Amino acid sequence: MKKRIAALLLSTVMAFSLTACGNSAKTEKADNKETKQTTEAVEDMSFDEMVDAAKGTTVTFYGWGGDDNLNDWLDNYYAPRLKEKYDITLERVPMDIDAILSQLSGEISADKKDGDIDMIWINGENFKTCKENNMLYGPFAEELPNFQSYIDTDDEETNADFCFPIEGYEAPYGKAQLVMIADTAVTPDLPTNTDEFMEFCKANKGKVTYPELPDFTGSAFVRNVIYDICGYEQFMDMEADKETVKAAIEPALEYLRELNPYLWNEGKTFPKDSTALTNMYSDGEVVMDISYGAYSTATNIENGTYTETSQSFQFDKGTIGNTNYIAIAANSGNVAGAQVAINEMLDPEVQADRFAEIRTIPVVDYNKLNDTQKEAFDKVEIGKGVIPQDELLSKRLPEMPSALVPIIEEIWAEEVVGK
Amino acid sequence: MKKKMTPYILLVPQLILGVVFIIGLGTGIIQSLGVIPAFGLTEPTLKYYKEVLTRPDLLQSLKYSLYIAFMSAFLATVTGTFLCAVLVSAGKVRGIIMRIVQIPIIVPHVVVALFIVNILSQNGILARILANAGLITDQQQFPMLIYDRYGLGVILAYLWKEIPFIIYFVIALMANINGSLGEAATNLGANKLQAFMNVTLPLCMNTVLSGFLIIFVFALGAYELPFILGATTPKALPVLAYLEYTKPDLRARPYAMAINGILIVISLIAAVLYYILLRRSTKKLAG
Repeated sequence: MKKRIAALLLSTVMAFSLTACGNSAKTEKADNKETKQTTEAVEDMSFDEMVDAAKGTTVTFYGWGGDDNLNDWLDNYYAPRLKEKYDITLERVPMDIDAILSQLSGEISADKKDGDIDMIWINGENFKTCKENNMLYGPFAEELPNFQSYIDTDDEETNADFCFPIEGYEAPYGKAQLVMIADTAVTPDLPTNTDEFMEFCKANKGKVTYPELPDFTGSAFVRNVIYDICGYEQFMDMEADKETVKAAIEPALEYLRELNPYLWNEGKTFPKDSTALTNMYSDGEVVMDISYGAYSTATNIENGTYTETSQSFQFDKGTIGNTNYIAIAANSGNVAGAQVAINEMLDPEVQADRFAEIRTIPVVDYNKLNDTQKEAFDKVEIGKGVIPQDELLSKRLPEMPSALVPIIEEIWAEEVVGK
Repeated sequence: MKKKMTPYILLVPQLILGVVFIIGLGTGIIQSLGVIPAFGLTEPTLKYYKEVLTRPDLLQSLKYSLYIAFMSAFLATVTGTFLCAVLVSAGKVRGIIMRIVQIPIIVPHVVVALFIVNILSQNGILARILANAGLITDQQQFPMLIYDRYGLGVILAYLWKEIPFIIYFVIALMANINGSLGEAATNLGANKLQAFMNVTLPLCMNTVLSGFLIIFVFALGAYELPFILGATTPKALPVLAYLEYTKPDLRARPYAMAINGILIVISLIAAVLYYILLRRSTKKLAG
C-alpha cells in the first residue's frame, strides 16, 4: 500500500513539475502587469508620459549574447543607468536571433498580448522578415527625442536597413564595418584590392582563409570581394532571382575558385565561424583575420588576442559597413519602457561611453553634438592597429538588399567550396 | 480494482512525456507539409519534400550522413564486441575497469568534439608535439583529420563515445551466457575460442545488432558532432536541417522540417528492425 501511495505521489509530482516550468514565468509577469502598458494605450502618449508609465517596470532586451565586452557594458553601465534615471530594470536575454524570431512568432500566433519580448537587437533580413510579418511595434523611432536631436536623418543607414525601408520600426544601435587584420611583422605588405589579395594568398599559401558562409563575417567578406570585382551599384536594386544574381557575380565566383588552391586546406573546407578564424589567427595557423568590429583590433591587441604589430586594413574601393538596430516586439508588454530605454541608448553620453569602453562606432551624428559632447568622443584613444575613423567611414560601402544575401550564400556553397 | 489501476498510474509520467514528444513530432511533420498558419502558410503540400529531394546537395548530404552513421556504428560494434569478449574471458566484468569504461558514456558529445579539436586539429596538441619533436617541419603538415570530407574526425569522436556504450550494453548478457552455456560447451570439449564463436557470440548477436542500430540511428540524427567536426561540404543532414531552420526567412522552415521528415523515415525503418530483433532474441532466449 505504502509503495502505491509513493508511486502515485511521484507521478503527480512529475506531472506538475512539467507544467510548473511554464507557469512560474507567467505569474512573475502577472505581477508586473498593472504597471505595464499595452501597445494601444501607449500610441498616443507623449515621451514624458511614457517615462512616467515606465517607472518601476522591467524591460527585456533580447539579442545575440556572444560578445562578452558588449554584455559587460550593458550589464555594468547601461542597465544601472536605466535603473537610476528612470527606475527601469533591464533584463538582458542572450539568445540567437533565429530563436528570438521563433519565440516571437510563437507568441504572436498564440495571440499572446503581454509578450515576454520587449526590445530586440536586429538588422537585415531578420528585420525584413519581422516587419513584413507584422511582428514589430511601430513606427516609433522618429518620435524619440534623442533620435530627433542627434541622429542624422539624411544618412542612408537611418532610412534603410540592407536597402529595406525602416519607416520608424527600428532605431540605430551601433555601427559595424568590415576590416581585415594582418600582422605587419609577418606580412609587411597589405593588399589594397582583390588582385593584390590574390598575390597575398599565393605568397602565404595555405595560410589565408575566410569563415564559411552563412557565417555573418564570412558572408560579408565574400560580398566585399564581389563589390571589389563587380562594383556595388548594380546590386542596390537587383531582383532577388538566383539566375540574375549568379550572372552578375560570375566574375567574382571565378576569382574565388581561382583563389581556392592557395587557401587554408586548399579551399576544401573553411573555418566554422569568425570566432574560429580569430583563434586560428592568434595561433598563427593563418596570417589574416576578418572582423565586423572595425575597432576590435585595438581591444584585441590590448587583451593579447592579437600581436602588438597587428594592423587592420581595407580595400581601396572600400569595405561593407552596416548599422544594427533595436526594434520593439509587436506584442511587447512594455512598449513605453522599451521606448524610454531605446531613447537612452541614443543619448550622446551613452554612445560616448560605449565608444570609450568597447569602441563601437557611434550612431549619433558628430555634427549635431555640442562642444562638451564632442569632447567626450574626441578624448577616446582608439588604440593601436586601427584605421582612423574618417578614413574608415569614407571607404564605407552600403549593404546590398537583404534578399540577395541568402542567394549568394547558396551559390557560394554550390559553386566555390572545393571547386 | 486498485491493483488493476497501479500499472496505469505508474505509467502517467511516461505518458505525459510521450504526449509532449508526440505533439512536437506531429508539429514537425505538419510543418514539413507546409502548414504554418503564423507565416501565412495554410495549404498542405508535398512541394517541400519534392524540392528537398531534388536538391543537388541533399543526395550528397544523405550519403554522407548514412556513411558516417554506418561507419561509426559498424566500427564501434565490432571493436566494442571484441573488447567485451576480451573483458569477459579475462573475468573483468565489474570493478575498476568497468568504471573506466563507463566514463565516455557520461561525457556529452559536445565535450568530446572539443577534445578532438584540441588533440587532432592542425593546431592541436598532437600536431604541436610532432612539430616540436621535428618529426614534421610545420604544423600544417599534420594530416587533416578533422573538418575533412571523409568525416574521420566525426567517426573518431563517435567511436570514443560508442565503443564503451557497446561494451556496457552487451557485457552483462555476454558474461551470463559465457558463464552458463559457454562453460557447458567448454565442459563438452570445445576450446575457449570455439565456445565463444559458436555459442556465446551467436546468442549475443541480437543484442549486439540492437546496439548497432541504436548507434546508427543516433549518429544519423545527431547534429553536434558533424556541425563542429564536419567539412564545409558535404554537410550532414541534421546540420543542413539546422541551417534551413535558422534562415531569416521563416517561410524556409518547412524545408528544415522536410529534411527532418526524411530522417524520421530512416529512423523508423531502423526502429522496426530493432523491434523484430528484440522479439527474435526474447524468443530465442526463452526457447
